[in-house]
Amino acid sequence: MTNQARKWLRFRIVTVLIFFSILFVALVSRAFQLQILSRDALKAKAEKQHTRILKIQTERGHIFDRNGKVLAASFVVDSVYADPSQIKDHKGVSVKLASALGLKKRNVMEKLSKDKKFCWIARKISPKQSQAIKKLNVDGIYLIKEPKRYYTNKGLAGHLLGFVGMDSEGLAGLELKYNEYLKGASKRVSWGKDARGHRFYLEDGDGSKEVGGSCNLILTIDSRIQHIVEVQLQKAVEETGSKGGITVVMDPRTGEILAMACEPGFNPTVFSDYSSDIRRNKAIADCFDPGSVFKPFVVAAALEEGVVEYDELFDCENGAFVVGRKVIHEAEGEKYGLLTLREILKHSSNIGSAKVAQKLGKERLYQYVRKFGFGTRTAIDLPGEAAGIIRNPQHWTDVDFATIAFGQGVSVTAIQTITAMSAIANQGVMIKPYVVRGLVDKNGKVIKEFTPTVVGRTVSPLTAHRITSFLTGVVSDDDGTGQNARIENVAVAGKTGTSQKFDFDAGFYSSDKVKASFLGFFPAEDPQITILVILDEPQTKKWGGQAAAPVFKTISEQILRRFHRNVGEQELIADEENRELKKISSSEAPNGQKDMDESVMPDFRGMSMREIVTIARERDLNLEIIGSGWAVNQKPIPGSPIMNQLYCKILMSPGY
Amino acid sequence: MKIDRRLFVNFDWILLVLVLVISCIGLLNLYSISCTLTHISGKPLYIKQFYWMLIGLAMMLAAASIDYHFIVRYGYVIYCISLLLLVSVFIQGTATHGSQRWLFFWGLSFQPSELMKLTAIIALTKYITENKINEGYHIKSLAIPLAIAGVPCLIIAIQPDLGTALFLAILFFSVILFVGVNRKTLVMFATSGIVLAPLCWFFLKDYQRERILTFLNPERDPLGSGYHIIQSIIAVGSGGIFGKGFLKGTQSQLKFLPEQQTDFVFSVFAEEWGFLGAIILMFMFLALILWGLKIARNSKDLAGTLIAFGITVFIFWGVFINVGMILGTLPVVGIPLPFLSYGGSSMVVLMTGVGLLMNVSMRRFMLQP
Repeated sequence: MTNQARKWLRFRIVTVLIFFSILFVALVSRAFQLQILSRDALKAKAEKQHTRILKIQTERGHIFDRNGKVLAASFVVDSVYADPSQIKDHKGVSVKLASALGLKKRNVMEKLSKDKKFCWIARKISPKQSQAIKKLNVDGIYLIKEPKRYYTNKGLAGHLLGFVGMDSEGLAGLELKYNEYLKGASKRVSWGKDARGHRFYLEDGDGSKEVGGSCNLILTIDSRIQHIVEVQLQKAVEETGSKGGITVVMDPRTGEILAMACEPGFNPTVFSDYSSDIRRNKAIADCFDPGSVFKPFVVAAALEEGVVEYDELFDCENGAFVVGRKVIHEAEGEKYGLLTLREILKHSSNIGSAKVAQKLGKERLYQYVRKFGFGTRTAIDLPGEAAGIIRNPQHWTDVDFATIAFGQGVSVTAIQTITAMSAIANQGVMIKPYVVRGLVDKNGKVIKEFTPTVVGRTVSPLTAHRITSFLTGVVSDDDGTGQNARIENVAVAGKTGTSQKFDFDAGFYSSDKVKASFLGFFPAEDPQITILVILDEPQTKKWGGQAAAPVFKTISEQILRRFHRNVGEQELIADEENRELKKISSSEAPNGQKDMDESVMPDFRGMSMREIVTIARERDLNLEIIGSGWAVNQKPIPGSPIMNQLYCKILMSPGY
Repeated sequence: MKIDRRLFVNFDWILLVLVLVISCIGLLNLYSISCTLTHISGKPLYIKQFYWMLIGLAMMLAAASIDYHFIVRYGYVIYCISLLLLVSVFIQGTATHGSQRWLFFWGLSFQPSELMKLTAIIALTKYITENKINEGYHIKSLAIPLAIAGVPCLIIAIQPDLGTALFLAILFFSVILFVGVNRKTLVMFATSGIVLAPLCWFFLKDYQRERILTFLNPERDPLGSGYHIIQSIIAVGSGGIFGKGFLKGTQSQLKFLPEQQTDFVFSVFAEEWGFLGAIILMFMFLALILWGLKIARNSKDLAGTLIAFGITVFIFWGVFINVGMILGTLPVVGIPLPFLSYGGSSMVVLMTGVGLLMNVSMRRFMLQP
């Protein structure tokens, strides 16, 4: 090669060198663009590809009654899903699936022919069916564990508990209200795939878990009482030919709801079998005219305001009282002359009640009605509560005013009514009703504890006491309207009610369609239980005293019998903690020797840790506490004499 | 044959080290890939590749020790043998992925089209050194070189393996342009290229048209023809600066990435080692190529320059086209990444090529015979 040719060649090589270097720089800058500038976007894309996510709820928390009985529980069952893109023989597979699961072939086929990577075939199948699916062993058909909700005793307290949907979301009742606590940690099931869609994960392995609730719910409900109530209410509805009924049982001192039932009942396990009308918890969601059960509140207001004397006589106009352009009559065409307040309530005199209200005046009646909680939600821990309607007194005509005095023309809920009556039973102090006693996490730790909340004072203890004694007369007197609610050896205070339902078609109050009710509490001298019974449109017996009072009586008697206690002397229901506290705090020695003298082991059962420790400190007791939650057992047993050794071993359980 | 002591003194260690390092990176990368490619029977890929590498090293030493002038002298013979092999693919070969590219010897598969790249360079070198033209080639004097590249190009295109055929054409034009073409011919090439390109469209197979359309817009068919490129871009990009770590590339380990042991090895590498790893590898390739160009420049004669240049360009276009495809800047063509993609033929041919580079490098101080 000549020198010139060599130079020429070298020049070319340098040119190529520069050209190649430039192309390399171009590649590197492209790599820079991808790996540095748009790395986050591409990382997200990658993430999205290999973590295909399906949210699966893990086991939902259980719901227990106050005694640790399970009301709602979750069990893990199999669900079947398909990845249609992996299935070649759509027809063959759908035939197999349909026969294994008892589905329609066409429906399965339709699902499989969709251009998707995931579709449910059947949710929450039986163990037998999942066996059959496993046996099929078809590519692209998979089983996955899902929790299924079961409600015990065919849905005891179903209205209260509510129900959960397919994806374990609480849709009604407590399931809805406490969903965020109850719901299991939602497990993110993810899987990767190659182009063939093979899962690299499916079983419980490494699906990342979200931190979630899965708490157990402990209710104030006593399932024994709930059971009694549901059976008796159903029986009464059948016997009287009613459309339905509501019963609520409450502890007036604490506001704890012990039972709450609606008829027709419903089983949340198969909630879709019922109409939404049946599923609605009518005890809190439905409004009605209370009728005569409203009268005690009117009388209480008048007494409290001092506008009437305790023994004042009211002229009941011999059964016909002209107000404005209307004439007000007594029920069943009764005619009364002069009546005391006690007699007005005993006979449930409309005219007497109207006259008492007139003495009080519209404005003050309205104030007291509101004070008793009508027209305001009770804030019970259940979803869907109605507030009722109490119109402003400026809009009341004289006729309205008179009828409101006997409970027509106001709109209230059952829970409001029983809460108001419980306030009278509880010396005038109104307590907020509640149904959840506490929340316990999976490890048994108490997360939340609900205690009674005082709403406020409605009337003075004296007025409450007077009303109680009037109401005792309603039941105990031989000419009282509530004598069907009488219980042997127990003083019952109560009020009957028969309210005309507003006929929305006709536009006036119907005399055929009524709600018969009884609202009462016992024992009158130390009220522990308030019960409200409402029957909707009873056909055979139309009056509260005839239709509802006997239900009240049967329920009360059964409760008393069930608990083997003489109510006059002893506490009635599983409210031990309250009793103990009361007894400890009252230093004056009660007459009964079995009562809390210092030498006897207290009954810790049912108490929370804090309560136990308080008592133990007062008594100088050494404790050994096992577990957490509420006490279920103790040694030495309650009532055994405390010898020199001040020592008690207590077993706690979250499920009390 | 007398062995000159200077051969050892001038042995190109830098070249050897560069190639060995790049090949070992390739082995490591294949190890990562083999962890998931369980469906391939027999020995793991990286073991097989290691064996190929050893064979390649042997070939490299052989190619380095025989004087390249001697090899160029028999250039046409070698060329004809590999052409025969290429034709015999149609007789004996086995089809994979819908095309006949493979020959089997004693249970080993071999791709004559890979060999063709190297032998075409040697044959071209022989022709150019024997027909020197100072003022650049014109159309008549280009007839034979055109035939040397064109015949195998056609045969490979019939297999069909358009990527390799195209690669061979690019190789040819690179060498010819380097040597020099007169202006009139250059213009003619350019115009005929512009005219013929649309015509080619009608001769392309459907999947090839798809690839080109997809290159223009990968989102056109993300699960079909666009899948490869989209997955590759996701894999590379999600690697970020420092990568996801060895054996931890989600896109490759979870098998989102297609063809990861062959055409898309670099995606796996870039995903697991990130921008940093990619840049280091790229600079090693660049170093290798610059070294190759230096060898071409320093060669005492035109034959050495052309062989060194041809082999360097061979490596360069392999890297550029493959990486460009992986980064989504070039359409998807089946060009393996030199020294990293799994493939015996490619490995052995490249190693032999590097052996020729060494050959030229070692003899740079020797006089022409």
